[in-house]
Amino acid sequence: MSEILRTEGVCRYFGGLKAVEDVSMQVNSGDIFGIIGPNGAGKTTFFNVCSGIYKPTKGKVIFCGQDISDLSQESISRAGVGRTFQTTQLFQFMSVLENVKIGCHMGTKTKLVDAIFHTKTYKEDEAFAEEKAVETLRKAGLEQYANTLAGNLPYGIQRRVEIARSLASDPKILMLDEPAAGMNRLETDALRDFVEELNSQGQTILLIEHDMKFVMNCCNRIMVLNFGKKICEGSPDYVSNNKEVQTAYFGSGTFGKEAAKYAEN
Amino acid sequence: MEYISNQLINGICQGSIYALMAIGYSVVVGITGMVTFTHGEVMMLGAFAAYYTFLWAGNNLLLGIFAAFAASWLVGMAVYKVCYEHFFDAPRHISLICTVGFSMLIKNLAQIIFGANRMPMLNIIDNRVYQIGPVSINLLQIVILAVVIVLATVLSLFLNKTKGGIVLRAISQEKTAAYMVGINVRSTAMVGNCIGCGIGGVAGMLMAIYYQTCYATMGGTMSMKAFSSSVLGGMTDVRLSAVGGLCIGVIENLGITFSSANFRDAFAFCFLILVLIIRPQGFAVKKGARP
Amino acid sequence: MNRLKEYVKKNQKMILILILAFAVVFPLLGFEKSTIRIFCRILMYMTLAGSLNITNGYSGQTSLGHAGFFCVGAYTAAIITTRFEVSFWPIMILAGIFAAVVGLIISVPTIRLKGIYLSIITLGASEVIRILALNWQSLTGGSFGIKGIPRPVFFGFEFDSPLKFYYLFLGIALIFLFVSHRVINSRVGRSWMSIRENELAAKSLGVECSAAKMMNFAFGAFWAGIIGAVYAVYVQYIDSAVFTLDEGFNIMSMVIIGGQGTLVGPLVGSVVVNGLTEVLRPIGVWRFVMYAALIIVMMWFRPQGLMGASNSILAGGKVKMKATGKAKRKETTP
Repeated sequence: MSEILRTEGVCRYFGGLKAVEDVSMQVNSGDIFGIIGPNGAGKTTFFNVCSGIYKPTKGKVIFCGQDISDLSQESISRAGVGRTFQTTQLFQFMSVLENVKIGCHMGTKTKLVDAIFHTKTYKEDEAFAEEKAVETLRKAGLEQYANTLAGNLPYGIQRRVEIARSLASDPKILMLDEPAAGMNRLETDALRDFVEELNSQGQTILLIEHDMKFVMNCCNRIMVLNFGKKICEGSPDYVSNNKEVQTAYFGSGTFGKEAAKYAEN
Repeated sequence: MEYISNQLINGICQGSIYALMAIGYSVVVGITGMVTFTHGEVMMLGAFAAYYTFLWAGNNLLLGIFAAFAASWLVGMAVYKVCYEHFFDAPRHISLICTVGFSMLIKNLAQIIFGANRMPMLNIIDNRVYQIGPVSINLLQIVILAVVIVLATVLSLFLNKTKGGIVLRAISQEKTAAYMVGINVRSTAMVGNCIGCGIGGVAGMLMAIYYQTCYATMGGTMSMKAFSSSVLGGMTDVRLSAVGGLCIGVIENLGITFSSANFRDAFAFCFLILVLIIRPQGFAVKKGARP
Repeated sequence: MNRLKEYVKKNQKMILILILAFAVVFPLLGFEKSTIRIFCRILMYMTLAGSLNITNGYSGQTSLGHAGFFCVGAYTAAIITTRFEVSFWPIMILAGIFAAVVGLIISVPTIRLKGIYLSIITLGASEVIRILALNWQSLTGGSFGIKGIPRPVFFGFEFDSPLKFYYLFLGIALIFLFVSHRVINSRVGRSWMSIRENELAAKSLGVECSAAKMMNFAFGAFWAGIIGAVYAVYVQYIDSAVFTLDEGFNIMSMVIIGGQGTLVGPLVGSVVVNGLTEVLRPIGVWRFVMYAALIIVMMWFRPQGLMGASNSILAGGKVKMKATGKAKRKETTP
């Protein structure tokens, strides 16, 4: 159970808006770590800070013992952080296979000269990318879509392609931003099986999700954010029985109690 | 010293014309949300409209301004119909290339219609020189400054105080939301685009008066100046673009004081590139909003 | 139409060889010198437009100042060959490298900037280069240009007629196409295309976007420099009036009309535009109006160009739902 990703008092402000404030957490290898919270709690911002799209205003992000808070997005990806986006960011006009091949970018090192003269590196890399892409597609159950344009696929499959593309780069931690958003029940269940299967193969996963059933059944640790602050962290059972979390989700007072009761049923 | 101070006056005067160009440009870019490369040609047409007005109706500056504004307005409508309306949902580079094509179209048509020669635009304003302390300023410069300031103020009042202005600002921020509150985005965007073009036309006319000539290919340099100024101001901010225009004018004129006038354009661009390296967003200040 | 496409795909190699043989034999059929010159122009612009297509079509950075790199290459070759007694060939490479360096310098400020800023900066840089060429009297001869650029000699074989230059241009075009083809179909080319399609996603997959863009820019500029050098020794006299923004737009119109994002596109574009130039010569200046109108029409109805990559963001950003047979929408009920 070695530590993969750790944040120390991470803050991110947009002018006066404190989107993320003083969040510290730790993801160990083999975890499925969930981040939940009401809308606008700063989950995606926190994700973006971890993957380098935003720089933290204060605090540190430490990945495998290396401080990555000041690195560029590309460098962080190269260090081994793979991620997907809340709105799918596929290469819509490329086939699924090509999408995944670009995911192999990091594993290969063909330079311009190699490409021009078809050196040994080039041949090895092409063979590697092809093999890796096909293997990843098989793992994600996407073989039958290999030659379809990514933009033509149904939404649920697109999400899966995005995950597969990220997997092709062999990330040490896979960050999924609302993977089940916009999916129906069946698709969500299929996704959960997929995530659990990945985890059983040793993939560390950090995910944001609104779907409580998904999070509670799938994750082994959960952190709750509200208004940019961390209000709770622990196992699913602990989190779901936490008073503060219930208040954050359902509000307080009589109405809140009613809502909580309703949610339990 | 006197030479430098005179160059400074020249710079401010020219800079104010650039500022007007940049204001027009930012209005276009801000409201349609697309980048235009036709602005130079629109300005050139404004200059020509004024030229022919002066030819028919004598040296009446107000009439000239009106003609330039009206002509550019019409061209602005054409630009909008051809280059923007069809491409609101398409990737940006398509409408960009379309405006490049349109600018080539106008330029070549103008060369055919107006001829390739330079037309003289002499003595629209009396050549009287005033001496204020160490600086001498001529009537032309005063008139140009006055026109620019008046137009900029009118535009500013229009955008901030009237209902039409608020509608324009609304669609420049969020088109979908503007649809939802019942604004006819397409026609309003066209009006906004035309206002920007009209202001550009007046700026083109002032440019022609300042250099006492107008010709069919004058748009190229002018559009480059409008870009540079507007990029300095962060593309969509009207006031900062005006500041950018002033800066470019002053720097150009101070630059050529210390070297040759041939390098005029080079100074503007080098300054622009330098600023962009240091501050990619130009003079614009980032507000406390989510990027 | 689809059948034709399939046929072309099946017999790709044969068709290529046929076209190549045609290109080699065709000028030997006894044309006038002026006609051969037109073929030279077409081939020259093929490479030039192709190199612009590398930046515009493959990595999606809309550069408008390609004439600047062309200018750098031409002047480098002209200055060195008129002043020193050196063989042309290393100078040609040097001109390419020099243009590539200029391209790198220009692309530096654009790393932090997006789309339109790049267009404006390339446009400005192209103007600055032209202004320098026009006014740096001692080096470039100012507005008089550079005269008497010596012909290149290849092992005692002097390139002194348009026909010989035709084969030189053909050779360069072939090398360019060969090299580009290999680069595009490799990891490097894939990273360029990923930037064109979705930069955010490309970054999240560890594609070094700035480095890739710079390399892309330098690669395009390199070929423009090489063709500039050959142009200089071909016409033997250059002055800065050739390398205006209009020239840049001319090159761009070939890329756009022919098609962005495919290697064939600029070739077709060069043939179409230069062919039209000759055919439309009787209507004089109106032909420029025609090109401009053609560009607009192209943008309206086929933004990716005649032979462009229809499955890319260049084609207008809408995914065309075609029944590919394999992709089936899952019919599920919650």
